[in-house]
Amino acid sequence: MDKMTIPRRHFLVGAAGTVCTGAVVGSGAGSALAQDTALPDYVAWKEPGAFIQHSENTLETLRGEIGSVVTPNDLLFVRNNLPSLTEDDVGDPEAWTVSVEGVSDPREITLAELKGLDVAQVASVLQCSGNGRGFFEHETSGSQWLTGAAGNVIWTGVPVASLVEALGGVADGVQWMTGTGGESIPDGIDPLSVMVERSVPIAAHEQALLAWNLNGEPLPLAHGGPLRLVVPGYYGVNNVKHVKRLAFTEAETQAKIQQSGYRIRDVGVEGAPDQPSMFEMNVKSWVTQPLMDASSGRVLVMGVALGGTEELATVEVSTDSGATWSEARFTGPDLGPYAWRSFVIATDLEPGTYRIASRATTVGGASQPEDFPPNHRGYGHNGWSAHAVDVTVS
Amino acid sequence: MACIRRGLLGGVIAIALPAVQVAAEDLGKQIFLEGSGDMPACAVCHMLSDAGSEGEIGPNLDKLMPDEARVRIAVHDGVGVMPAFGEALTEAQIDAVARYVASVAGQ
Repeated sequence: MDKMTIPRRHFLVGAAGTVCTGAVVGSGAGSALAQDTALPDYVAWKEPGAFIQHSENTLETLRGEIGSVVTPNDLLFVRNNLPSLTEDDVGDPEAWTVSVEGVSDPREITLAELKGLDVAQVASVLQCSGNGRGFFEHETSGSQWLTGAAGNVIWTGVPVASLVEALGGVADGVQWMTGTGGESIPDGIDPLSVMVERSVPIAAHEQALLAWNLNGEPLPLAHGGPLRLVVPGYYGVNNVKHVKRLAFTEAETQAKIQQSGYRIRDVGVEGAPDQPSMFEMNVKSWVTQPLMDASSGRVLVMGVALGGTEELATVEVSTDSGATWSEARFTGPDLGPYAWRSFVIATDLEPGTYRIASRATTVGGASQPEDFPPNHRGYGHNGWSAHAVDVTVS
Repeated sequence: MACIRRGLLGGVIAIALPAVQVAAEDLGKQIFLEGSGDMPACAVCHMLSDAGSEGEIGPNLDKLMPDEARVRIAVHDGVGVMPAFGEALTEAQIDAVARYVASVAGQ
């Protein structure tokens, strides 16, 4: 097999559990802290050595650490737009209140009350909008995530639809569900400029939860505890942490994170409300094993794939940079349309260099493109070519 | 003539450069501490020991130790909830604050 030219940043993909470049990941605009830097105190309970630290508030799970259908809490990535609340901030979690507005009977309701109202469990992929940003060729602001700003988790909470029903239904004219985080904003800045407040189309409330439990454990503060708005199928930013207000509104929030942030636009264009917002996730997959080296003979190629809001139909794998494809087999349980699925295919590889790619397709026919067009902030990359890995078989 | 001009300019620059550098650093620190126009002070949100700031909303810059390019693009385009200040600041102001932060962060 011919040697492939390694595209920019492919060298950053990393081996199973390691980062090839050691201390620095990404371009000058997105350097990461050293991988061996101790984890910050608020996430000291996570697995040491399993993350790339882009900053104190951004921890990327190493590609080789992703393997199971459900991502354990101590391997789940962290992306906090604002510093996580502390136990002192929260006090008694059961007494945490969320203000529900835009319903017939608006009121504050405690976590304890929510737990008695109804309960559901949903498996869903939690993924940062910028996952894959590091694969774009143009310079982008923000953490240079590759594949590890994503995990598949099981949330437990009250269905928002049950809450709405209990409070008499939403008011007429409501178009949006707006969640507001409980982080305090310092004096001296306009709260709208930095607050985490996101609106999603009202239809999304039908699958949404107010969640207090992550993979069977009380929702850690680092992941938005004691209560988080979870919108399955939607990018992470819409899953508002430490949620203090849930409002059903006629207009979307005026917060900058909604109006100009998280908007898809051409490179060089400022963010604006008329551009597509980072709502529903797109179809995507990536190989998690092997990542750099393998022994010749039978090689199991494994990975994960998600359909965004649709169930997956197929995942194909190529070992020749996309010239030919073979259908992989799903290995784990089907946890629903919002979850990812793990896949495997057995290959027989002679010594040489192989570019291994995966390509997922949903039941609705959406499929990963070879390349994903650049956008200013580097959101939503699902191109199979950039996510491919170069593996040396010896 | 052109050589003379360059020589003259070079001489002027050689003499003025230290003052210009100091002014640029001052400008960067000033923007960090006071903001400019519609942009609030960086100090409100960010910790940076050289500036004496203890903001805790954004990353601790002494720990992050960003280089100039990273600060420049973050200020220009924003990061997450950090707004974009590409329209609130001039390129010269962004350059100044980027140079300042990159030169003192972590010290």
